[in-house]
Amino acid sequence: MKNFLKRIYLWIDERVKLNDLENFLGKKYVPIHSHSVWYYFGGVSLFLFVIQVITGILLLFYYKASSDLAFESIQYIMSKVEFGWLIRSIHGWAANLFILSVFIHMFSVLFERAYRKPREITWVTGIIMFFMALGFGFSGYLLPWNELAFFATKVGSDIVGAVPLIGEPLKIFMRGGDDVTGATLSRLFGFHVALFPGIFTVLLVIHLLLVQRQGMSEPLELEIEQKTEQKRMPFFPNFMMRDLLLWLIVLNLLAILAVFFPAELGIKADPFASAPAGIKPEWYFLFMFQTLKYFPGHMWFIEGEVLGILLFGVAGILWLLIPFWDVKSSKGKRNRIITYSGIFAVIYIIVLTILGWAS
Amino acid sequence: MNVNHSGGHKRRDFLKYLLSGGLIGFAGIILYPLIEYLKPPKQREVEVSSVLAGKTSDFEKGSGKIIRFGNKPVIVINTKENNFKAFSATCTHLDCTVQFRKDMSLIWCACHNGKYDLNGRNISGPPPKPLEEFRVVIKGEEIYVSKKT
Amino acid sequence: MKKTTAALILICSISLSGYTPSDNDECLNCHDALGDEPSQLYKNDIHYLKGISCSACHGGDNKTDDIDVAMSKNAGFIGVPKGNGISERCSTCHSNPEFMKKYNSPLQVNQMNLLTNSVHGRLSINGKERIVQCTTCHNAHGIVSVKNSSSPVHPLNVPRTCAKCHSNPLLMRTYNPSLPVDQLDKYRTSIHGLRNSRGDSKTAECVNCHGSHDILPVKDVNSSVYAINLPKTCAKCHSNADYMKEYKIPIQQFEKFSNSVHGIALLQNNDLNAPSCNNCHGNHGAVPPGVESISKVCGSCHVLNADLFSSSPHKKAFDKHNYPECETCHSNHQIITATNQLLGVTKEAVCSKCHKENENVKGYLVAKKMRLLIDSLDQSEKSALNLINEAEQKGMEISEAKFKLRDAHQAKLQARTMVHSFNKEKFKEIVDGKGLATTNEVIAEAKNAIDEFYFRRVGLGVSVLIISFLAVMIFLYIKRIERK
Repeated sequence: MKNFLKRIYLWIDERVKLNDLENFLGKKYVPIHSHSVWYYFGGVSLFLFVIQVITGILLLFYYKASSDLAFESIQYIMSKVEFGWLIRSIHGWAANLFILSVFIHMFSVLFERAYRKPREITWVTGIIMFFMALGFGFSGYLLPWNELAFFATKVGSDIVGAVPLIGEPLKIFMRGGDDVTGATLSRLFGFHVALFPGIFTVLLVIHLLLVQRQGMSEPLELEIEQKTEQKRMPFFPNFMMRDLLLWLIVLNLLAILAVFFPAELGIKADPFASAPAGIKPEWYFLFMFQTLKYFPGHMWFIEGEVLGILLFGVAGILWLLIPFWDVKSSKGKRNRIITYSGIFAVIYIIVLTILGWAS
Repeated sequence: MNVNHSGGHKRRDFLKYLLSGGLIGFAGIILYPLIEYLKPPKQREVEVSSVLAGKTSDFEKGSGKIIRFGNKPVIVINTKENNFKAFSATCTHLDCTVQFRKDMSLIWCACHNGKYDLNGRNISGPPPKPLEEFRVVIKGEEIYVSKKT
Repeated sequence: MKKTTAALILICSISLSGYTPSDNDECLNCHDALGDEPSQLYKNDIHYLKGISCSACHGGDNKTDDIDVAMSKNAGFIGVPKGNGISERCSTCHSNPEFMKKYNSPLQVNQMNLLTNSVHGRLSINGKERIVQCTTCHNAHGIVSVKNSSSPVHPLNVPRTCAKCHSNPLLMRTYNPSLPVDQLDKYRTSIHGLRNSRGDSKTAECVNCHGSHDILPVKDVNSSVYAINLPKTCAKCHSNADYMKEYKIPIQQFEKFSNSVHGIALLQNNDLNAPSCNNCHGNHGAVPPGVESISKVCGSCHVLNADLFSSSPHKKAFDKHNYPECETCHSNHQIITATNQLLGVTKEAVCSKCHKENENVKGYLVAKKMRLLIDSLDQSEKSALNLINEAEQKGMEISEAKFKLRDAHQAKLQARTMVHSFNKEKFKEIVDGKGLATTNEVIAEAKNAIDEFYFRRVGLGVSVLIISFLAVMIFLYIKRIERK
């Protein structure tokens, strides 16, 4: 048995020079310091993404993306297909955990200034993937074609439609027509299972290659404070094993959540029914949703809602371009603005999400 | 040193056994649901689009039978002229299940004496609307009922 | 045509200015002397009295007694108008608001328009003219005000006038073979008709319901007697307190009907199968159904209930006390959806009106028991449904049981019908044997499914155990490689 495995290894090694890879991995080290724990969230996000891909593909085997059959096919998955409930519940929970983990990963990178030169591209690809994760969430939410999803999509795309100039065409593009219909379902389905995963995978590969190529960033604070030699651990197998350990814990958590709080289905969407009271988006959109509610009807010369959307747009672009305007950090100096605005963003998101949840 | 080393080696081997065992168990709990999931379920399709109602020989002339079409009952009728017809068996009045009355040659609802003719039209009693008609296709001996589109 | 109109206006304006009828009208002078019927009738005609000469309709010159001049083509003489020409002669004046104003006439000026669009405005069998001309109802000569009792369109005469054609099977057959011709006979048996023949011009006759110039077929959605419009048409009089005062009958029927299960079906949901006023009261022969025939009237739709009632002990008892069958419990115009509350001996229930704890106690007990039964079925159906929903929400396959639950629903409806037999045993047989038996089965199946759901947690336990074990092993492994 052992010999057989060894022979396979040698066979491959002979052809692709696994040696080099081994050498590369062996030389890669992960710094050990008081902030090391944040290094894990990238891995957790990756793991959850892989789970999404696997469960997503599995769901595709039975899901039917049409307004006639979408709801029924999910019902079928939930009740007729063995373990269908499990696969769907895991897909739903992993989606939420994925976005949560991406949030944490993103903010940890921000506070550690890990985006500073030479890691600008890693940051930009990461932020785009973050936006896409939100897009995954939004498009996936409609797929069960239930009442809640239907109206959440309606409200969500209405908000997009409020953007000046490009809003209306964008809304119609998103909906595949003037209204949320079966066409919207097909469209968002296409985004969710083909377009987004395709783009996301490319970005992910770039992101991961860069991380491997450039190694782990060390926090700026530590670099400034202690010039002494850093402790470090080999990426393989030490760090990898720790990653694995954490992944197993996440998997356990997922299984427990999926069994105790299985994904619900609600009632089938009826385009002619009136919207149920208290339509809310998924939690990761809540802070934006809630903010828009606080904007007055009219501010200065434009509508409050439009202003809010524009502000979020500007914030998003600033966020994406942080490495390019935060020159201080790249030069190895402290930039307190980033810390303060980062802390503000975290508190803002948490408070507004809670407010949105409670309202 | 020597003892220590061999003891460590043994423990490591033992750990490796446990690790492999854990991995096999892990593979089991992941693969079992996956394989079960991929097995085609007994009930074939989501929305039933067509249902086998039985064989033509099961229906004598001038008889009717209720069959299950998804979650709804459908009444299949063989008229005296040996024509097969199918209608939704849910009375349009208050959702009772209708039945074929041989003595009247009509579709009849027991709840409020609603009557439909053999074209599904409401002809007497409280039903406000005709029964929805289903398509009947006969393949050889077998009668298939499907939704009219 | 324009010229004639102008001429007419001229003539009439002349005639207005100090012209007295009998003096200078040479047409009438001659024809009166001849003693022919038209001229005799025309002497009492409202048009003549207002100074309008024969020549206004027939053309010619009414100023000369020379027959060759007066009745010549040059003088515009046209003789007896034919076909649509008749109505055209009338409408030259009656459709001209300016002209009618000169006479301070209270009449509308759209009669011709209404007539053309009405059912009577269709082409007659010869294909050349409308079925009905003005003169068909109003006569040609001797036209008097509608208020004059000798007018054929006076309320007391209208039924006969319409019946001239509508009671003529030979004629009616040529236009609408399926239209009955017994309206007048029926009308004479109705309260409206009886009062009308006794000289009460206030009660409804043909035009009050059907309209006059604008009569439309009953199947036309704009017709005042179209099923959905009919209640309002009846309510024109029957909901008018002043108008109905002298008849001393209630006036809330329309209001009550609108709130009733039938009224809501008809007026709000536009369900044409729902009864309108005429379905219970009759149309031409409208009278309130007699006490003993109510169940027959209601039974024309509610067949089973009526049959059960008629063979129940209540039939005899109700007849004895002169209780109006269905109406006693369900009321008449304001019939609301019957709920279970109607049954039993509680405050809202109707049984306890007669059956009390110390009076008619046998019925009291039966009612109480029946209510208990149907309530328990209701309860049981609800909990079955809840359990099924719970199981479905948990993702369990339960469609078989859900399908079965239809039987319980059916049993409930049948039981509600069976109430009308007022027979405890028959009622119980349906509730217990069909209803509760089904719901209990469904409840058991749903509970099984829910139990099955909780069984999943065992599987979870095993998985969590294995994953945790593996995690611990990896942890130990890390410890090991890092101790080196």
